[in-house]
Amino acid sequence: MTDGDYRHLYVVMEQEEGKLVPVSLEMLSEARRLMDDFNKKYSSNEKVVALLLGDGVKEISKVLIEHGADVVIVSDNQELRYVRNTIYTKLIAQIATDKEVAAKVESVDSASFKKPRYMFFAADSVGRHLSSTVMAELDSGLASDINKLVVEDLQLTHQIKTAGKPLTYEKTLEMYRPDFSGFLWTTILCLDNRNPSIERDYHPQACSIIPGVFEPIESDSKRSGKIIEYLPQFEEKDLLVKILDRKIIKNEIDFDARRTIVGFGRGIKDAPEQNVKLIEQLASELEAEIGVSLPLSKKIISINQSIDSKYFIADRVIGSSGRKVSPKLYIAVGISGAIQHLAGMKDSEFILAINPDEYSPIKDECDIFIKGRMEDVIPMLIENLKTQKKVVQA
Amino acid sequence: LSSLNVTVIVKLEPDFSEGNVSYNPDGTLNRAETKNILGPHSALAASAAFYSKVKYAAKISIGTMGPPNADLILQNAQQISDADELYLFSDRIFAGADTLGTAELLKTGIHKMQGPMDIIFSGHRASDGETGQVGPQTAWKLGFTFLGNVIDYEVDLKNRTVRAKHSIRLQGFYDVIEEVEAPLPVFIAIDPSYKPTFNTASQRLAFQKYQKEASDRAQNFKQYLKILNAEQLGADPKLIGLAGSPTIVYKVEKIPKGKAGRQAEVIDGSSNEQIGKVVARLRQALSTMVIK
Repeated sequence: MTDGDYRHLYVVMEQEEGKLVPVSLEMLSEARRLMDDFNKKYSSNEKVVALLLGDGVKEISKVLIEHGADVVIVSDNQELRYVRNTIYTKLIAQIATDKEVAAKVESVDSASFKKPRYMFFAADSVGRHLSSTVMAELDSGLASDINKLVVEDLQLTHQIKTAGKPLTYEKTLEMYRPDFSGFLWTTILCLDNRNPSIERDYHPQACSIIPGVFEPIESDSKRSGKIIEYLPQFEEKDLLVKILDRKIIKNEIDFDARRTIVGFGRGIKDAPEQNVKLIEQLASELEAEIGVSLPLSKKIISINQSIDSKYFIADRVIGSSGRKVSPKLYIAVGISGAIQHLAGMKDSEFILAINPDEYSPIKDECDIFIKGRMEDVIPMLIENLKTQKKVVQA
Repeated sequence: LSSLNVTVIVKLEPDFSEGNVSYNPDGTLNRAETKNILGPHSALAASAAFYSKVKYAAKISIGTMGPPNADLILQNAQQISDADELYLFSDRIFAGADTLGTAELLKTGIHKMQGPMDIIFSGHRASDGETGQVGPQTAWKLGFTFLGNVIDYEVDLKNRTVRAKHSIRLQGFYDVIEEVEAPLPVFIAIDPSYKPTFNTASQRLAFQKYQKEASDRAQNFKQYLKILNAEQLGADPKLIGLAGSPTIVYKVEKIPKGKAGRQAEVIDGSSNEQIGKVVARLRQALSTMVIK
């Protein structure tokens, strides 16, 4: 491969009814930061390219430029109003491999263009599937649920990739993925096979990015960029997939309506049933909604059908893979403070943590840390809440 | 009566439930000590297929890629779905594949099963890899319409279409339940919230009949089982296993603790007096007016 084969960082935007989903600008901002470094270190010619598909979305193109895109490729068509996997996948893959488009993105070095160098998608229920099918079509690698990205030249020796010889992989995207516990990071690389017996290019290096992780950069109306319109073409058979109805669901668990949220985690495990009861009493005393940490939603602890289906569900998860909350008071019960959970609650005004382990990370993200077992602490909290309430009423 | 040919792809996974899972001192999963089971999302995909059996008298087959002992999860999935055929794709060279290499192998395997398929079910994601990529990538390689996060589906046998409801979560926006119609064949990844319901008396009778049949079959599951290796599948060794995997795991490390966001006051949890003071602080925090 030559360096002209794979160029730029393409970012697939998500929008709903003409409004950008927040993760779009988050991805774009991280793309900008990464490309700024890349431009300094390697070449100033490569760009951040935002891909925007939808119906009546042209106007958002400018917003994308103000938030870091050098180029916006926009495909505006009524068939693209909602995401249908097949037509979206085909269209994104077409755009990403189109030489004429590449020539518009950048006038130099586009002759040998094959595919993007890097590609970002959102790790949500739309982007997760779209990234998978697009990368299957583009025949390259995909890392999911990423929360840190670095570009480096890496010297690697790998049995399969390099046939055991040390080789340098330039401009390699290190994709960091927190594991299910939230305490371990796995770095994933997408590498060409340079082993002569299985030689093969694997580009773009792609990932899906966890919503809520990266800070969007400030909008800058002085930024300039290029907008390229792309006329989509559809195969008739792909349009046979029809959207018959769409219902917006108001979530029954409404964290935003409460001044207090009590979140609990794995720490309930010594006496799950009693502890959940205690947490319910505490929450009712404070008129609080109840949330859980991600591991609990995976039903690693089972109490009984009615409690499990009430609490150990995705809708109650607070964190980067769930809801982001910022109540006046957040009480973390038996939550050690994995980075994903912290991302979902650290903007709360006042945070109280109850945990027997003074070294758990939650201590660095709370205002008061009660060192103790929830079994002992919560009853005392409830008692004191009751007595102090009486004092006020009297 | 038109027939329906249904396949489920399932996965052998570590049992992550409390008490069964075991971790190494450094926090990584202790695979040797942790029991392996039919993944919970795979089990749900098998129930979705069973719904097709009860409702449409579908023919059901199940496929998995895994080590030789993965035959036990095929038995388990047969017990759930009353499958007619079980396929285990097993070969050393399949090991270590990433999602693209796995999807390629599953595509090759599904082509060896008795097709053509009308619906393929998979779980939402595996509990160990947790990418949720293998389902859609397999669908794409097979040329099937992919429908993800499906919470409900019905088949129109006459018109050869499926109607499915699926949930879309847009962080920072709202959730949507979308109803779609697609011509068969389709690939359905079942949402964790899926619950099959059987409303009519005849469905409940069929349910019981097939459930009994499933138990009988699962007792003798080996007679329904075919085990195929790379050569028997005719898999291209360059496209599967490690060779067919673009991605590698470069390193695993502990996530370093970030800068302390707040300076916590540490309170002794055994002192009622101290806790009384905490409660006063909480009440104060709740009553403060904050102008944003």
